[in-house]
Amino acid sequence: MITLDKLYLLSPEFILLIAAFLVLGIDIFGKRRWQKALPYWTIAGLLLSMVASFWLMGHKETVTDTMAADSFAYYFQLIGEMVVVLVTLALVDYLPGRTHQQGEFYALLLFAAIAIMVAVSATDLIMVYLGMEFLSITSYVLVGFLRNDKRANEAAIKYFLYGAVASAVMLYGMSLLYGLTGTTNLAAIAQKLTAGNLVSGYQWLLFPALLFLTVGFGYKSSLVPFHQWAPDVYDGAPTPVSAFLATASKGVGFALLIRVFVTALPAVKIDWVALLYALSVLTMTVGNFVALRQTSVKRMLAYSSVAQAGYIVIGLVAFNGKVPFTAFNGVSGVLFYLLAYAFTNAGAFIVVGAIEEHTGSTQMDDYNGLVKRSPFLAGVFLILLLSLAGVPATGGFMGKFMVFGAALAEQFYILALIAIINSVVAVGYYFKVIKAMFFVPGEGPAIAVAKPTRYALVITLAMTLLLGIFPSWFLHIATTSGLAMVGL
Amino acid sequence: MLKQFGFLGVHAIIALSVPLLGIVAAWLLRPKKPYPLKKTTYECGMETIGDTWVQFKAQYYLFALIFVLFDVEAVFLFPWAVAYNKLTLFGLVEGILFVLILFAGLIYAWKRNALEWQ
Amino acid sequence: MITQAIFIIVSLFTLVTALLVVRHPNLFSSALYLVASFFGVASLYVLLEADFLAVVQVMVYIGAISILIIFAIMLSKGMMGKHTSPHNQQDRWVALAGLLLAIILLYFLVALVQWPTTPVGPVPANAIQLLGQDLVGRFVMPFEIASVLLLAALIGAIAIAREREI
Repeated sequence: MITLDKLYLLSPEFILLIAAFLVLGIDIFGKRRWQKALPYWTIAGLLLSMVASFWLMGHKETVTDTMAADSFAYYFQLIGEMVVVLVTLALVDYLPGRTHQQGEFYALLLFAAIAIMVAVSATDLIMVYLGMEFLSITSYVLVGFLRNDKRANEAAIKYFLYGAVASAVMLYGMSLLYGLTGTTNLAAIAQKLTAGNLVSGYQWLLFPALLFLTVGFGYKSSLVPFHQWAPDVYDGAPTPVSAFLATASKGVGFALLIRVFVTALPAVKIDWVALLYALSVLTMTVGNFVALRQTSVKRMLAYSSVAQAGYIVIGLVAFNGKVPFTAFNGVSGVLFYLLAYAFTNAGAFIVVGAIEEHTGSTQMDDYNGLVKRSPFLAGVFLILLLSLAGVPATGGFMGKFMVFGAALAEQFYILALIAIINSVVAVGYYFKVIKAMFFVPGEGPAIAVAKPTRYALVITLAMTLLLGIFPSWFLHIATTSGLAMVGL
Repeated sequence: MLKQFGFLGVHAIIALSVPLLGIVAAWLLRPKKPYPLKKTTYECGMETIGDTWVQFKAQYYLFALIFVLFDVEAVFLFPWAVAYNKLTLFGLVEGILFVLILFAGLIYAWKRNALEWQ
Repeated sequence: MITQAIFIIVSLFTLVTALLVVRHPNLFSSALYLVASFFGVASLYVLLEADFLAVVQVMVYIGAISILIIFAIMLSKGMMGKHTSPHNQQDRWVALAGLLLAIILLYFLVALVQWPTTPVGPVPANAIQLLGQDLVGRFVMPFEIASVLLLAALIGAIAIAREREI
């Protein structure tokens, strides 16, 4: 049942829903002058919703059986809302001239944000599936929205086909769990699994169920055997949408991976740790080594986002819910990493988009001498790439520090070693871009960056540095949000 | 309950066999002497001009899409309507909210001329 | 006993038509076989005494989705009438992998797990009413979010499938 007087805990979702209706309404009925301001209406809604999410952090209550209102959910909601704000800023000058249906685009973006918020608060398999599917459907449309762009169409179809298969497989896994326990509630599943009196031989059922769930979540967060869609989609989609997919949408995959495995399946922790261990090694290695060979910066970023997913999984492999609870519990590391990564990677995609807007190319050669043509873009990209590579004093470094630290604390020495080797390999391709921008001479007209895009980049830059230099407050929030997950 | 569906199955079999019987009987009894004039289309309309397997308008698809969505809505509303007498006020309001949200979709489709034949 | 026989016939029908969907060289015929396959699934729901699901299957899948698929084929250039090859270079390997996966899954889920074979009891006569009460009770959030999802899907569908932009 639902408790009506607790309904205010869902206010971030309600605010965004109202904002989405408002945007649609203005687009259909509003005056021309109001329609021009659509992105700013969108951003206003998102900011209000962020305030609500932030305000409600620290609560740990159940509004219904199917949705949790805990810090863990609010944390991911904040990441999602923030990314969508950045994406909207980047869209302000991107959409006009490409489509006449801007209202729909912003409304769908808001719906995607709602989907994220629903998915990360889900505490019931039905809700998990609904949230994932909601996010997928809005994402497919956003990727393929520019109908005259053949590459975007191809990306949308590819994303859709992979998504349909992955979600069907995930649903099958959920049905196995339901058949075994007779409930879809995550906490109740955990209870049933530990209480016993299940059908005999049930452990044989749990492994395929676990595997199939991982397919669904791994698809969203682009872990390696399920990543094939990622490079083509990030490459073909409108660049701001790529930024959204590579950060916020990927974060949902991780949030659900954590939520479902930690709350519902602690009984088979050994199994999922082994599974994620293997996926992590695969993801890092494949992502990095393929990224090394790319000549397009956008594709390189796509493969680098795949590799980053591999680092993030380490946190869950090294998950430790024991008391005394430390910051190196793994989950908190994942949360911090995702926050830093959201700003850094979204910023990087926006930079690539801004350059593509002017040169029409994403090739590495066209980045030669960028520092002369646009010192602003070159400077921002430098910091963001350093953060992606994990250089100290950036958010990326702190994220890696937290996650690798958790691996060491749990004595996963080999995994930590593989991760560090991979990080060194990754430095190779990040520095290739830096070298091209600063040290290889190149000619070309100066690149002007639109004002809203500039704001978005300044935000990402500031946050990347802030997270690297003064991380303690953010670390505190990430730790307490992780705490909410383990039930302390 | 399965028994009741059994009646339905028997009914379906009878309903299928009646036209089949007619066709089979005609096929068995008819004299087989085809010639070109006999093979032409008769009774129902004219000879087609060009290929019958042509590309259709995309708008059919749009209509079908909208139909699917409202069909799914009907599926959700059906159990709600069956339980109507047992619902609390809250349950009633929830159902109405469900319809209203989708009604917004209808208004959108209407205003965007998606329901108009172009 | 009779139920068992009906089950075997119905599931064979479903499988064979499903196979024809994949293998038939004419795409339009594939779509029609899909309808038949959906019908087989609906019959399986009936055998499981899930009559609401059976009705939903007929209403949504046969009544709406098949129509959508047939329209999609009819409006695609060069898809109608012509024989498209359902083969590609990898289909042998895919078939092998699929078969292997099916055998492994069957082994895991049927041979290793002792499913309880005692009947759960009759389905309550007011099952649909209970479902309706749960939809606005226990599962009220999924219910409402489903409507938002449908709205978003509607907007996305119209934005993408419209013949002309505005």
